[in-house]
Amino acid sequence: MRIRGFFLFRRYTLLIFIILLLLFALVLMSLRAKQRKGVEFFDALLMEICSPFQKASTLVIKTVQGTFQQYVFLVNLEKENRMLKQKIAELQEENHRMKEMKLANDRLRQLLQFREKNSPSMIGAEVIGQDPSSWFKSVTIDKGEKDGVKKRMAVISPTGVIGQILKTAPHYATVLLITDYNSAIDSLVERTRAKAIVEGKGENRCQLKYLLRAEEVAVGDIVVTSGLDGNFPKGLMVGEIKKVDKKGHGVFQYAELVPSVDMTQLEEVFVIMEPLPPAPLQEEKGKKGKKTKK
Amino acid sequence: MRRIILSLLVGILFLILQTTWLSSFPIQRIRPDLLLIFTLYLAFLFPPIFGGLLAFLMGYLMDLFSGNALGFYTFSRPLVFFVAQFFKERFYLEGFSFQFLFAFVFGMLEGILIFILMNALQPLSLGNFVPLFFTFLLPQSFFTGLATPLLFWFFQKGSLLLFRQPEKGIMEKV
Repeated sequence: MRIRGFFLFRRYTLLIFIILLLLFALVLMSLRAKQRKGVEFFDALLMEICSPFQKASTLVIKTVQGTFQQYVFLVNLEKENRMLKQKIAELQEENHRMKEMKLANDRLRQLLQFREKNSPSMIGAEVIGQDPSSWFKSVTIDKGEKDGVKKRMAVISPTGVIGQILKTAPHYATVLLITDYNSAIDSLVERTRAKAIVEGKGENRCQLKYLLRAEEVAVGDIVVTSGLDGNFPKGLMVGEIKKVDKKGHGVFQYAELVPSVDMTQLEEVFVIMEPLPPAPLQEEKGKKGKKTKK
Repeated sequence: MRRIILSLLVGILFLILQTTWLSSFPIQRIRPDLLLIFTLYLAFLFPPIFGGLLAFLMGYLMDLFSGNALGFYTFSRPLVFFVAQFFKERFYLEGFSFQFLFAFVFGMLEGILIFILMNALQPLSLGNFVPLFFTFLLPQSFFTGLATPLLFWFFQKGSLLLFRQPEKGIMEKV
């Protein structure tokens, strides 16, 4: 009987292994849902191992792209003009490099101004990778727990909201973009002050959920953060309404918006280390100050 | 052991390419899933236990760098591996069209599975599936299918160079 049992076990070893492996994946899923420490540690460890390669790869790609853009049109030149063309190429390369430097300089100056204007408690980070799956929308940045980055922290750029920190490793973090299906941000329509939740719709689009039918919103209206979720400061631009639909039944209307930030072109971002004071409070303080002066 | 470590490194290399190089294309929908192709090839290269573990790790890595917080790929990739192993003996898989179809079907099936899992955990209306199907799932699976014969050819050449026995099937002993 024992021998028979042993043979039965051997016969079904593969099946048992498959079931166990898939069950383990499901257990991991449930552990992740409950945010257990053990899984987080393992995630952070693997991320630390892989991300430096990702960073190096991004650097190589950027360099190759620059070089390719520079030289691809110079391949089929006539022999007698080679010297001259080489000179042009060198000058072009220099010009391109200088243009790149100027663009980077402008961008960084804009970031610096934005940072100084808003809060000192922000940290700049570079995007080093995109989401490997097309189902989800996230990016990897080169700042992590060692730099003070924590889960749920807001990630922004001078042009608007980008997303929030989803996973962290000591030196890297994953940012869930506002266009992801799992993203939701409490916001309001700037003109009418109508409250709604901005949810991701994949690609470069979001939708406004729980926007009351009675609220008057129109195409072109700007949507800003409400500051109620505790992560994002009040008044940051989220996007512009591109479609409003009141045809359906129910209490709510449907509106679609395009984020103010192009999520496919992200290079540098800011992580807000602590919630900023909401904008109206600052205004009120200003008014109070004026009153006391009087 | 060398075979496993090398395969793991190749998997990590593909993950990095997928998150950096392929993402720099202007149209992100035209982005073949290199790791899915690699997982399908693992089904030809490895016996079920080692291959299953590798597919599990590939899925885990994919989840790690993705906005997916729960780990759908940790579940779907080993499943894809075992189903591919089951079918590899039953279908003729030589030539461009068969390899294309093989990866295309698996890409579509995995996409549908992910959608079902997403829907179960964060309900989306079914109306969301139709645009997703045409704008993302279909083109993504198509380009994954197109890239498969080329990558399979490279994998085959690579494994011939590195190992004496490039393919160990489900019926063979470890």
